[in-house]
Amino acid sequence: MNNPRDRYKKSSNQHGVYGDNWQQEAKEIISGASGGFLFGIPLIYTMEVWFIGSYVQPAILLSILVITFIIILLVNRIEGFRTRESETLPGAIAETIETLAIGIACALIMLVILQRIDWQTPLTEILGKVVFEGVPFSLGVAFSRSLLSREADSEQIRSTPSSNHRSFSWRDTSADLTATLIGALFIAFNIAPTDEIAVLAASASPWWLLLIMVTSLVISYGIVFAAEFTNSDRRRQQQGLFQSPQTETIISYLVSLVAGMLMLWFFQKITFGDPWFIWLRYGIILALPASIGGAAGRLAV
Amino acid sequence: MNQQQTNKLRQSLAEKVSFFLSLSIVAAITILIGYTWLTGDTNPPTLSVTTGTNIRQAERQYYVPFTVSNLGGSTAESVEVVAQLLLSNGNRETGSQQIDFLSRKEQRNGEFIFTHNPQQGQLTIRVASYKLP
Repeated sequence: MNNPRDRYKKSSNQHGVYGDNWQQEAKEIISGASGGFLFGIPLIYTMEVWFIGSYVQPAILLSILVITFIIILLVNRIEGFRTRESETLPGAIAETIETLAIGIACALIMLVILQRIDWQTPLTEILGKVVFEGVPFSLGVAFSRSLLSREADSEQIRSTPSSNHRSFSWRDTSADLTATLIGALFIAFNIAPTDEIAVLAASASPWWLLLIMVTSLVISYGIVFAAEFTNSDRRRQQQGLFQSPQTETIISYLVSLVAGMLMLWFFQKITFGDPWFIWLRYGIILALPASIGGAAGRLAV
Repeated sequence: MNQQQTNKLRQSLAEKVSFFLSLSIVAAITILIGYTWLTGDTNPPTLSVTTGTNIRQAERQYYVPFTVSNLGGSTAESVEVVAQLLLSNGNRETGSQQIDFLSRKEQRNGEFIFTHNPQQGQLTIRVASYKLP
């Protein structure tokens, strides 16, 4: 039972026969993508990576793809985003291709959402940015089950009588709120003092800000969904406001938005003298990584 | 789960579809990188700047649009665009703009701001310098 995959086989069987339907496939892909966002989002908010992607030569890009492929292939022999083990080398290669594709697709979506890629961006620059940002996303996909599952903790909690939990619903809510704040701080505190927030906010129209808000909600809902998938037994025992995934997503987004604004104020990127729309604009830009961190933080409660 | 079941599950339609979609994404990226490698221009940056004709006036200032392009094969860093407006009375106004990165075949737009009407003087806008990344 030393192989990490073996730990998940039992829980996967509880969901019925896996791999034979679209729902299971979608769950695994969403779970993988959630890990990708968690690992890749700090580098999406790093302008040096955009710049590196815009000037690196195609030969180096191909080498980076090959090296990443080999690293993820090695990871997939012991880990991987799928619940069952790739027992053969062709199976591991197939999973590596899927991991790279999910990472690249997530990175491309984020670069478009943050307007680092648009219709005027030259092909060479698009490829450079997608490959450089796709590497951390792909690694996140490969490690997604480690990032999102806390089975050891959940087994410990399962042994606790559930009646004790029912009388402490506000304690669960408060624990979830605290975890959201810690997760948001963990991811967004590194990003808040950087110039990237101002650069990204400057290029975002009100419509784009709405799109960024929707994206934040969808990604954090995806992580919550992945958590339901991996830790459903444990989470069902929890009571409080965070019981429903929809409510959980919206409340945690609002918490992340306010936390993001406070972090920006802390680093003097915005002051009380600034108009409200600057607070909102900067806050929405930072709430994207903060809500992803917050959603991930709740998994660790 | 035995080997036979595993093999059977690997052949499910959902898995096949996601594998072929993934393969197409990775193959497309690889082919496009290969294409840009083979057809790519490795010449140094060739920078040019053009001035727009639609000069606008707001708050007693004149806004002159410009477009700077990199027609070469390499990326230019810290591209400096300078503008000089020489008025008929001998006075002059200057402005400068720095663009962090200008990738190959990329264009960037901006505006120079003058307090006098550029159409009543001699306006010169040029790229002054850049550095290689």
